[in-house]
Amino acid sequence: MDPARLLGPAQIDALAQLGVSTILLGGIYALIAVGLTLIFGIMRVVNFAHGEFLMLGMYLAFWSFTLYGLDPYFVLFVSIPLFFLVGLLTYALVMRGVITASHNAQIFTTVGLSTALQNVALVAWTGDFRFVRPWHSSVVLRIAGTAFNLAQVVAFAIAVALTVALFAFMKWTHTGRVMRATAQDRDAATLMGIATDRVYRLTWAIGIACVGAAGVLVAPLYSVYPTAGLQFVLLSYVVVVLGGLGDMVGALLGSLIVAAVEVVGSYFFGTAWKEVLYFVLFIAVLVFRPAGLFGQRGAEMLGA
Amino acid sequence: MRGVLARHWGALVLFGLTALTPLVVKDAFFLDSLVLILIWGALSAAWNLAGGYAGQVSLGHSAFFGIGAYSAALLATRWQQSPWLGMLLGVLVSVAAGAVIGYLSNRLRGPYFALSTIAFSQVLLIVASRWRGFTQGSEGIPVPFRPGFWTLGLGHVAWVYVALGLALVHYGVQVYFERSRVGYQLAGVREDEDAAEALGIASRKLRVFAVTLSAALTSVCGAFWAQYVGFVDPFYVFSVDLSIRFALNTIIGGVGTALGPFLGSILITSLETYLRATFAGVKTGFTGIYLIIYGCVLILVVRFVPEGLAGLAARLRAGVARSRERATDHAHA
Amino acid sequence: MPRRLLASALLALALALTGLLAVGHGQSLTGEYKIGVLEPLTGPLAFEGKRHLEGYEIMRDMINERGGVMGRKLVFAVGDATDPTAAASEANRLITREGVKILTGTYSSTLCGAASEAAARHNVIYWESSCVDPRFTRRGLKTVFRTEIDGTGFGWYNIEFVAKHLAPRFGLKPNQLKIAFLSEDSSYGQGVTEAARQRAKGEFGMQEVAAEYYAFASTNDFTPIIVKLKQLNPDVVHHIARGNDAVLFWRQSREQSFLFKALVHAYGSPDFGKALGAEGNGPFALLEPGPGFRLEALRPEGQRLEREFRETVQKKTGSYPLGGHQLAAGGLWVLKVVLDQARTDELDKFRATVMAMDLPVGSLINGWGVKFAENGQNANERVQHYMLQWQGGQLVTVWPEEFSTLRAKWIPLGSWDQRK
Repeated sequence: MDPARLLGPAQIDALAQLGVSTILLGGIYALIAVGLTLIFGIMRVVNFAHGEFLMLGMYLAFWSFTLYGLDPYFVLFVSIPLFFLVGLLTYALVMRGVITASHNAQIFTTVGLSTALQNVALVAWTGDFRFVRPWHSSVVLRIAGTAFNLAQVVAFAIAVALTVALFAFMKWTHTGRVMRATAQDRDAATLMGIATDRVYRLTWAIGIACVGAAGVLVAPLYSVYPTAGLQFVLLSYVVVVLGGLGDMVGALLGSLIVAAVEVVGSYFFGTAWKEVLYFVLFIAVLVFRPAGLFGQRGAEMLGA
Repeated sequence: MRGVLARHWGALVLFGLTALTPLVVKDAFFLDSLVLILIWGALSAAWNLAGGYAGQVSLGHSAFFGIGAYSAALLATRWQQSPWLGMLLGVLVSVAAGAVIGYLSNRLRGPYFALSTIAFSQVLLIVASRWRGFTQGSEGIPVPFRPGFWTLGLGHVAWVYVALGLALVHYGVQVYFERSRVGYQLAGVREDEDAAEALGIASRKLRVFAVTLSAALTSVCGAFWAQYVGFVDPFYVFSVDLSIRFALNTIIGGVGTALGPFLGSILITSLETYLRATFAGVKTGFTGIYLIIYGCVLILVVRFVPEGLAGLAARLRAGVARSRERATDHAHA
Repeated sequence: MPRRLLASALLALALALTGLLAVGHGQSLTGEYKIGVLEPLTGPLAFEGKRHLEGYEIMRDMINERGGVMGRKLVFAVGDATDPTAAASEANRLITREGVKILTGTYSSTLCGAASEAAARHNVIYWESSCVDPRFTRRGLKTVFRTEIDGTGFGWYNIEFVAKHLAPRFGLKPNQLKIAFLSEDSSYGQGVTEAARQRAKGEFGMQEVAAEYYAFASTNDFTPIIVKLKQLNPDVVHHIARGNDAVLFWRQSREQSFLFKALVHAYGSPDFGKALGAEGNGPFALLEPGPGFRLEALRPEGQRLEREFRETVQKKTGSYPLGGHQLAAGGLWVLKVVLDQARTDELDKFRATVMAMDLPVGSLINGWGVKFAENGQNANERVQHYMLQWQGGQLVTVWPEEFSTLRAKWIPLGSWDQRK
C-alpha cells in the first residue's frame, strides 16, 4: 500500500465501501449470534447444533420459495412461530434431560443433535447447492460511491431491531427479569419460586426462533446446503465469546468486531488468512478475557 | 492372574478373535475393514485419555491426527525417510501442540475448551492447505507405497497385525490410566478438582500430561493411517467431522473405559462400511442414514446409558456377582 | 433389563460384523463384463460425483447398444467414495467382493489418489476420467491411466486463450497485460491457478497484480477483495470458482462497478446461468464443448459418436451434456476402444495396447484424440479443450474457432449495462 496514495478519492471510496461492508456483514453475524448468546448466557449451554437450525431456516426459505413461490420476507413472519415450536419440541425431546447434567453431557447432546440434523438434511435434500433468488435479491442501493445489496441492508436492519427488542425484553419485562435471575443463580431462583424448567424452555425456544428466522433472512445471500451451518457457527461462537455471555448489545458489538477483522484482514493480508485471524482472536479472547470484551469478569466460571 | 483375565475378558475375546481372523478369513475387504475398525478404535482410545479419563472433552483431536499423517507423508515424500521416523517426528510436534492444548485446558472449562480445540484444528487446516511450499497445499500429499516393513508397505494380513499391535498399545495405555496411581489421581481431579488439590495432587500437571499423551498417541495413529490409505488431504485429516467421530465412538462404546472405544468403533465402522457397500449406486442417499442414527444414539446414550456399551457389560457382571452373592446368602441363611 | 440390553447390543455387533462378511456378488455372469465405478455419491462432492455417474451410465448403455465391450455386455459395480478412507475401502470392496479388474472414476483429486493406491496394491487397472491432480500419473505406478488432462493443462489452456486470443483483441501484447488471479482453495483451484500463474509469468511475461485464495465454504463476501482489485486495475481476472462463489463474485463485482476487460472462470454449472441470466454475460470457462459446437469439425466417426451421445443425454436428462457427463463418458468410451482392441484386461497386454494407440483430435467423444505417455497420461494436445462463454444464461462454445459456429462477444467487456 503506497502511503502517498493513502488519501486520494479512490482510497476514501474504498474505505467507505469497506466500512459499509463491515457494518452489513456485522449485522448478519449479529442476527445469527443473538440467539446463541441468549441460550449461552441464560442456560449456560453451548449449543453445537446452532448452525443446523440456521441451515433449517435456510431450507425453509428455499422450499417455500421453490414450491410455493413465497418471498423470504413473508416466510420470515411464519418462521418465527414455527421455529419457536421447533425449539419447544427439541427442548422437550433433547435438552430437558441434560440441563442439569455435566458440561460434557451437554456438549455431546448438542453435537449429536447437530450430526443428526445435518444428515437428515443430507439424506432428504441431497448435498446439492440451492439458491433462493427472489426478484429483489439483485437490487443494489448506491449512496455516495458505495454500493450495498438490499438483502444485506434488510438483514442488518432486522438484526438491530431484534437485538434491541431482545434487550428491551430482558431488561424491562417481568419474564426477562426472571430469565436473568435464573441465569445468575439457578438455585436461588428456584427458592424464589421460579419454575426454572419453564424459563429454560422459553429461552431455548426464543433462541431457536431467532436463529431460524436468521436462516430465512440470509438464504437469499448465500447458498443453501446441509453443512451451511458450519460456516457460520464457528463465527457465531467467536462473536458470542467476544461480546460476553448473554449480552445482547455485546453480541452486536462483537459481530461488528469480527466483521471488521474479516474485512480489514482480507483487504490487507489477503483472504487466505482471514480465518486464521479470527480463530487466533478467538483463542486469545478465551485465554485472556473469557468473559468477553464487554462481559463481567469471571462470568466464564459461573455454572462450571 | 485369574482376576486380570476376568477383568479383561472382553478385550481378550475381541483381540484374540482379531488375531485369529486372518488365519481363517482370506477376503481382503473384510481384512481391510478390520484394519479400519482397529485404527479408528485406537484413535478413539487415544481421545479417551483426554476426554474420558481426564474429563477434558476435545473436539479438535483431528489436529494431532493431521500432524501425524503429515509428518509421515512429508518425511516419506520430501526426504525419503521411513514413516516410522515420520511417526516419531509427528509425536514430537504433537507433544508440543498437545502441551499448548493442555495449557488451554487448565485455563478454560468444558465447552470453552471444546470450542478452542475446534479453533486450533481449523487453524492447522488452513495452514496446511495454504502453505503450498511445504505441504503442497490443498492438493494434499500422495504417500508412496514401497513394499517392506520399514517403509510400512505391507499386505492386508500384515496390516491386520500391525493395526492389532497399535490397538493393543492403546488399550494397554488406557488400562494403565485405570489402574495406576496417575490414573487414580486423574480420576480425582476429574471428579472434584478442589478436593484433589487439597490432597496435594498436581492437577494442572496431570491434565497437561493426559492431554499431551493423548495427542501423541493420536498422532501415531495418524502416521499409520497415512501409510495405510496412501493420501493425505488437509480438508479430511484436519476436519471437525473426524474429531467428532473419535468422540462418538468412545461415548457410545463407553467413555472412560478401556474397551469402550473399541466397542464403539466396531459398531460404527462396520455399520458405516456395510451401509455404504449395500446402498452405493442403489439409493445412495440412504448411506447418510447411519449418521442420523449415530446422532440420535449419541443423544440417547448420553441421557440414558452414559456408561455406553462397555458399561452395560460391567453392569451385567455386577448383576451376576450380586445374584450369586444373594444365592450364597440364602444358602447360609 | 441390563442383561437384555447387553444381549441385544452384542447381537447387533455380531450382525454388523457378519454383514461385512455377507456383502458381495462375485464376478460377472457369462456374457457380461463388470468394471468398478468409484465416485463420491454422498458428502460434499456428491453433486458432481452423481453427475459423473450419470455420464458413465449413459455411455454404458450406448456402448451396450453397439455390442458392448469385448463382445460382452458392460455392467457396473458402483462404489461410494465419500472421503479418502472410504475411497480406499470401497476400492478394496469392488476388487475383492465384486471381482473387478478395472476401476474407473473418481472426480476429485483427493479421492483418486487413495483409490488408485488401493487398486495398485491389488495390481488392478485404474482408469481415471476426471481428477486433475498432476501427481496422479507421476507416482511410477504401472496400473494408472488418465484420459483427461491434469490441472496444469487447464491452467495452460486458460493462459493460451488469454495470450493468443484475448490480448490481441485488446490491442495489448501479452507482456503488457495485467492479470489478477483469484481462486477457491481446494486442490482443484490451487492446481489450476498455480499452473496458470507459472505460464502467465514465465512464458508470456504477464504482469501479475494479485493472487488471492479464499475458502469456498466460508466466503460470504468478496467486497474486500473487489475493493483491492479495483485499485490494482487488472485487465484480465482469472477466477477459479467452485460453486456459488462464481455467482457471488460476479454479482458483487457488478455492485461495486468493478470493471475489467475479461474474466476467465472455470465455472460450468448451469446455476450460474440460472441465477444471473443475461446479467451473467461475459465470463469464459474452459470446458468440454457446449452449444455452438461444430460437429463437422470432427472426424466422421467422432461426429457420429458425438451426435448420438448428445441426443441420448438430451433424452435422459433433458439438457445438454454437462462437464461431468462429458468427462466420464469420454473416459469410458476410450476404455471401450482399448478393451476391444486388446481383448483382455491382463495388465501387460492392456498397457501395450494403450501405449500403442494413436488417434488424432476429433476421433472420439468431445472431439478428443488419444496418445498416452509412458506414465499413463493422455497428451494435452490430444485432449482438445474448448473455451465457452456465458451468453444469455447459457454456456456456448466460442474457441477454438474452427470448432464453433458462435463467436466470443464483448471483448473487451464494456460497462456492466452494455453487455446484451
